[in-house]
Amino acid sequence: MVSRDTIKYLGRLSRLELTEEELVKYESQIEEIIKYLDKLDSVSLSEIEPIHQEKNFCELREDNTKAFEHNTLESVRNRKDDFVKGPRIL
Amino acid sequence: MPKLYSLTAEQVNTGIKRRDFSAEEYISQILERIDNIDVKVNAFIAVDSKGALEKARLIDRKIRDEGGKKVGSLAGITIGVKDNICTKGFRTTCASKMLEEYIPPYDATVVKRLKDNDAVIIGKLNLDEFAMGSTTELSKFGPTHNPWNIDYVAGGSSGGSAASVAALECAASLGSDTGGSVRCPASFCSVVGLKPTYGRVSRFGLIPYANSLDQIGPIGKTVSDVMMIMNAIAGIDDNDQTIKVPYSRPIYTLQPRKKIRIGLVRELVKGAEPLVSKCIYSAMDLFASLDCVCEETSLNSVEYALASYYTIAMAEASSNLARYDNIRYGFDFGPDGYEWNAYFAKVRSNFGDEVKRRIIVGTYVLSSAYYGKYYLKAQKIRTILKQELKLLYKKYDVLIAPTMPLLPFKFGEKIDDPLKMFMIDIDTVIANLAGIPAISIPGGFSNDLPIGLQIMADEFQEQKLFDAALLFESTANIHRSPELYW
Repeated sequence: MVSRDTIKYLGRLSRLELTEEELVKYESQIEEIIKYLDKLDSVSLSEIEPIHQEKNFCELREDNTKAFEHNTLESVRNRKDDFVKGPRIL
Repeated sequence: MPKLYSLTAEQVNTGIKRRDFSAEEYISQILERIDNIDVKVNAFIAVDSKGALEKARLIDRKIRDEGGKKVGSLAGITIGVKDNICTKGFRTTCASKMLEEYIPPYDATVVKRLKDNDAVIIGKLNLDEFAMGSTTELSKFGPTHNPWNIDYVAGGSSGGSAASVAALECAASLGSDTGGSVRCPASFCSVVGLKPTYGRVSRFGLIPYANSLDQIGPIGKTVSDVMMIMNAIAGIDDNDQTIKVPYSRPIYTLQPRKKIRIGLVRELVKGAEPLVSKCIYSAMDLFASLDCVCEETSLNSVEYALASYYTIAMAEASSNLARYDNIRYGFDFGPDGYEWNAYFAKVRSNFGDEVKRRIIVGTYVLSSAYYGKYYLKAQKIRTILKQELKLLYKKYDVLIAPTMPLLPFKFGEKIDDPLKMFMIDIDTVIANLAGIPAISIPGGFSNDLPIGLQIMADEFQEQKLFDAALLFESTANIHRSPELYW
């Protein structure tokens, strides 16, 4: 059972400001979706391994730093000198 | 002579190299076509007229000066790119307010390879916001219309990529396919759309939705056009470590061969609308008449595929989309005066409805109390599905099924019921969960609306897909381009 409070809490965890209207709408929709996902409970999976990436570590590239040749700061709007400006923390 | 804009990619390429017409003449016709048609189709988010004409002139010069020897394998072909694939210096929005002003500082590997092969990137194509949807109704830039009937959806999420090719606004396009997003619109718009094997085409520069499922794929008017583009974009890339090493540079060729062993997936055909399954059974009859070995077969884990798919897709989406904080890229809304969390919650409320819903469900299934109940189980279902498919591919070269369980439908028909919308992905998610390649080709028409035939092969067996697809295409002769009578 997914309550409105749960959705509010999930919104807070995922940094989404939700309006009352959205909460009302999402409550029933998300409840229905989760109920559908519960289908996964109806199959016995204890013996099965989850899927995994088949690539071995030795096949991965060396973990070396590489210069990024493009100017990434160019498109950042919120800047002060060479810093990116964010909201205050305290 | 037919209108240049109606030519296939192969014909364009040959015509330009033989100097039957110039790249510039062709591009001018394409631009005019887009001008005339796109008001109604809305396949494009942005058209790069200037860049396209410059590139065309460059190609013409190369051909004139060097006799065509140094010109790339895709010379002159117009390719539209889904707007979740990065194009250097050209806005890439994901059809979202959250990226409405994002200008990537680099090209996605696939875009770079297209450019290196002298393709002409004609513009950026419409999609459901962040590729989340099956109809392209959920774009900030308005819905894309189906060229066969503009009151109907084009499918999604790569709706712009399929509709633009069907409406002859570009020769071919790129889409991305996480749960069917290339194949669904290809089916609804009667064009050819491929989701390659996971690890075949680099995802570097594709704005991620669900990393373990996402794959970039080409859309074209014909199977050989799609092969041609695959030959240019597939293969190893240092920037994508999921590319598998033993298969560096595949070369796909035209060699229709007979005696293909074909299994028709019973569950998927039975689950489709009668008009659709009828069409798929006739496809099987056609294959049988061409000396293929055809039989019905069963794929039991289909029952759990959708629950597994949506668990994984939403979980990965919630974690991927955490990066959008409007600080490094985003819309015009400064952080001054805002507290940290309040600012992020405020700006992130600008995601569309569907995206927010998926982030919330994804956060739910990943929360520690439910991790074992959903995500882990979903990953185990993938293992079962993969094992089951491995066994089937010992018996069959390819499996066939409908691409979509229903005909294209009208705008607004399913948009208010998210779960109902999810259900129409049942036939396509199989390939993403198992990482196998799958192609949708025009299979027929019913009530003047297209039906797609889906062919699936084992991992890295794209050539087998192409063999079967070419055989069907060359025999079934399904009418390809909508006469745009509106």
